[in-house]
Amino acid sequence: MTAVLLVALLLASGITAESGIRLQDGIYTVGIDDPAVAAILSGDPAFSVSLTDGATLAQRPGAYDLVISGGRARAARTEKGAAALSAFSIAYRNYRTGIYTGEEDLFAAYPLWIETVEVTSSLDFTATESGQIIAPKPQEGSDVRPSGQVEEVPTPSSTLAVSAEELRQDLAAAPAGNEGIARYLGMFSGGPDLGEFKTPSQLSPPLPFDSLIYIFVFIFPLYFTSQFAMMSIANERIERRGEILLSTPAGPLTIIAGKMLPYFLLMIAVCSAIVLITGGSFVVIFPLIPVILFFLAAALLIGMTARSFRELSFLSIFFSTVMTSYLFFPSIFANVHVISLISPLTLVVLNFQGTGFSAADYLYATALFWLSTAVVLWLCARNFTEEQLFSQERLTSRLRSFIFAAMARDHPFASLVAVNLLAIPLIFMVQLMYLVLLFNLPLPWSLIALILLAAFTEEVAKSIGIVALFRGIPGFFTWRNVLLAAVATGFGFLLGEKLLLFVMMAQVTGSLFGSVLFSGFGLLWMPFLLHTAGALIVGAVLKVGGRRAYLPGLLLATAVHASYNLILIGGAL
Amino acid sequence: MKPRHVWTIAKKELRGIGNERTIVLAILLQVFIAMFSSFLVVGLTSLYDPSSLGGMSGGYAVGYAGTDSPLADLLEEKGDFEVYRMDLSEAVAALQERRLAAVVYVPDTPPDGTDPVKITLYTLKNDISASVTGVKIREAMEAYEVMLREARDDRLTAEPVEIAVPADVRGQSFFIFVYGLLVPLLLFMPAIISASLIIDFITEEYSTKTLDTLLSTPLTFTEILWGKVLAAWVLVPLQAGAWIVLLAANGIAIRSTLAILLHVSAASLVLILIGAIAALHYRERTSAQFVYSTALVAVLLAVLAIPGNPANLIVLLAAGSPAPLHGAALVGVLTGTAFLAIITDRYARRLAARAAQ
Repeated sequence: MTAVLLVALLLASGITAESGIRLQDGIYTVGIDDPAVAAILSGDPAFSVSLTDGATLAQRPGAYDLVISGGRARAARTEKGAAALSAFSIAYRNYRTGIYTGEEDLFAAYPLWIETVEVTSSLDFTATESGQIIAPKPQEGSDVRPSGQVEEVPTPSSTLAVSAEELRQDLAAAPAGNEGIARYLGMFSGGPDLGEFKTPSQLSPPLPFDSLIYIFVFIFPLYFTSQFAMMSIANERIERRGEILLSTPAGPLTIIAGKMLPYFLLMIAVCSAIVLITGGSFVVIFPLIPVILFFLAAALLIGMTARSFRELSFLSIFFSTVMTSYLFFPSIFANVHVISLISPLTLVVLNFQGTGFSAADYLYATALFWLSTAVVLWLCARNFTEEQLFSQERLTSRLRSFIFAAMARDHPFASLVAVNLLAIPLIFMVQLMYLVLLFNLPLPWSLIALILLAAFTEEVAKSIGIVALFRGIPGFFTWRNVLLAAVATGFGFLLGEKLLLFVMMAQVTGSLFGSVLFSGFGLLWMPFLLHTAGALIVGAVLKVGGRRAYLPGLLLATAVHASYNLILIGGAL
Repeated sequence: MKPRHVWTIAKKELRGIGNERTIVLAILLQVFIAMFSSFLVVGLTSLYDPSSLGGMSGGYAVGYAGTDSPLADLLEEKGDFEVYRMDLSEAVAALQERRLAAVVYVPDTPPDGTDPVKITLYTLKNDISASVTGVKIREAMEAYEVMLREARDDRLTAEPVEIAVPADVRGQSFFIFVYGLLVPLLLFMPAIISASLIIDFITEEYSTKTLDTLLSTPLTFTEILWGKVLAAWVLVPLQAGAWIVLLAANGIAIRSTLAILLHVSAASLVLILIGAIAALHYRERTSAQFVYSTALVAVLLAVLAIPGNPANLIVLLAAGSPAPLHGAALVGVLTGTAFLAIITDRYARRLAARAAQ
């Protein structure tokens, strides 16, 4: 069966390679009155060409996206018309290139050659933080002279280092304006090389999408392998094969480590293979290790919590989308914005660029992944028991019972401190995700959305421990215990927050966005009171109203939390 | 086969999805991806239309070093750039500090000489702002190339067809990205999800050994199968419709909505049936999913290579381009689907008969 599939796959990719991907065929309609012009477009399937006389074209101006008559191209006044015009100008440019490449005197046909030199710049967080564009026109009268040291740049030579014939071959091989996937295919398969010298039409803008390609190449195998890890755990649970393993003297940690090791090795092997193929340095494996471990820890948790395979499917799709974007979007801004450093994959991009990264960058980008992995693995190990593995509960109540099982029943308040302390890395991850999603909204809105979302997330996280106790030990919540639990929660949360801020680099956390997310304002007792108050509200509402009051209580706590932050930030703005 | 029995199974599966709150996750996922697409759209627009980003009205600063040439005026002409004549070393240092967006160095080669004019362009590495400026710089360079070519006109032999092309302001990438890639991708995602759902629906009955219980009711094996197919299938137009609404909310108008939903539904049934056959054959999730995913890639690749494939038709319909043969294509897909459905049904009957022995 596998052989049949492989053959089918090969055949299919052969057909596609032969005929191209027919996705955009005929998307633009063009009316042309000259067969010679129509011939220019004959090779481009995106155009559906109608050849008629000029009079007919003039009668029905809106019938086509693009009309070419009497040596002039006119686009319909629509978005599609503009797109059609742009696509035509590329086709026309290619056609002219074809003609000029055959010229006897190449430097009369192509009198202008450009050599691009890429300069690496230093990061400047303050410039981009307020939504400003880098290098705008300076204010009237101000100076553009560099403030730092000026290094001598050698005057470029005015001659081309290659012969006209070599350039002609390059031109014939590389059509103008070939943006898109072809550029990236060349990266791996050694396709047409544009050489160091380009004509103006070959001067494609240096898109930052190289980074995206690297990320996809590294992320996808990891995602697939972690899916298999998830399935193997879920299989054992659903078919109850895992019982035998549990009855052996090996502890849960040993079993988990043993289960995850093959997948870990497989992922490392795949990444190494990619590094070998792309010709990168093996240093990129270091930032990938915490990512791999986090994927595996999440796979374990999802495999342990999903009740059925379809739940597993949805959870894994959801997890991989969220994680891919967490890893993916920041690294688009590699070199532009410090936010990019929250994704370990940015380090991969930096390494591929040859910029490299420092130990501090590594610590900053991967700390949350290491810590979160440890927390999730610990939680799973505590719950890797027969009772927890083979029960069928809903996702939310299952997670709650996971947390409750990880708490020490004899020391509920100490457990609350610990739970909140340990939740911090995960909360930071979620909040940094918001930051990534929202930071390109206009400034007041991004801040307000961040404040609300951050407050909600923190209140949800703080309530988890309280809810676990509330449901786990009935009758535990006397008024005195509610107060004590709130204090324990607030203390654990604050402790975790400050400890992690201490570890992380101050660039993001010290900024305006950082102060919104991590309530960095005021003395220690103010955030402590705030966190305690939130937990107290949820606890009190739960005690009075029971489980149904949970959501209203949560919203009330969020409102209090958000207004505290709004007032403080409002003062700071 | 009684339709009522089929519907009972379909309801059971749909209720299962509803109970597990997985559908909530699915909706969350869609909203999440919608947020991304708007993120991507904002990002891509800013690449081609820098003025769409706030605080960008004046243009970029460009450093100019070397000999005077018409290029400086061409750069300034449209108001995209402010040109600063400076010493090359100073200009590059200013570029590194991001005080400039780019630096050009022009040598003293005569415009009508036999040697080419070799300009050196310094840009920032792997940087979004460099992409924005790159487009504009290219336009100025192309204009300069035309001027130089005219100066050397007498040495050229061939005469290309002259067409006056107005300078494109926006570029096609945004339009093509949205209609040619994002729309078909988003609209086919529910189909792919549903096809992997059907695998779960079927293999679950085997792995939890609930199939015998189901079969002890008046339901037959084929009724159970078609009920599950129905449950997976009805989700497709629902989700695809949700996408169309979400895209419209993001300002991306989708035309011929009904025809698009018909195409997506017809094509998705093919994928769902492939998933069902894989699940019936393997009765175990890991293998079935693996075989289905590989088959999916092969089928998608092969289908995309055919002119007038469903994805192509959806692109045309969504963008409002003429798709004259789309009715015929729909009939073709439906015929193929019916054929596949008969195969699936036969296969299921044979499995049921074998189990009964």
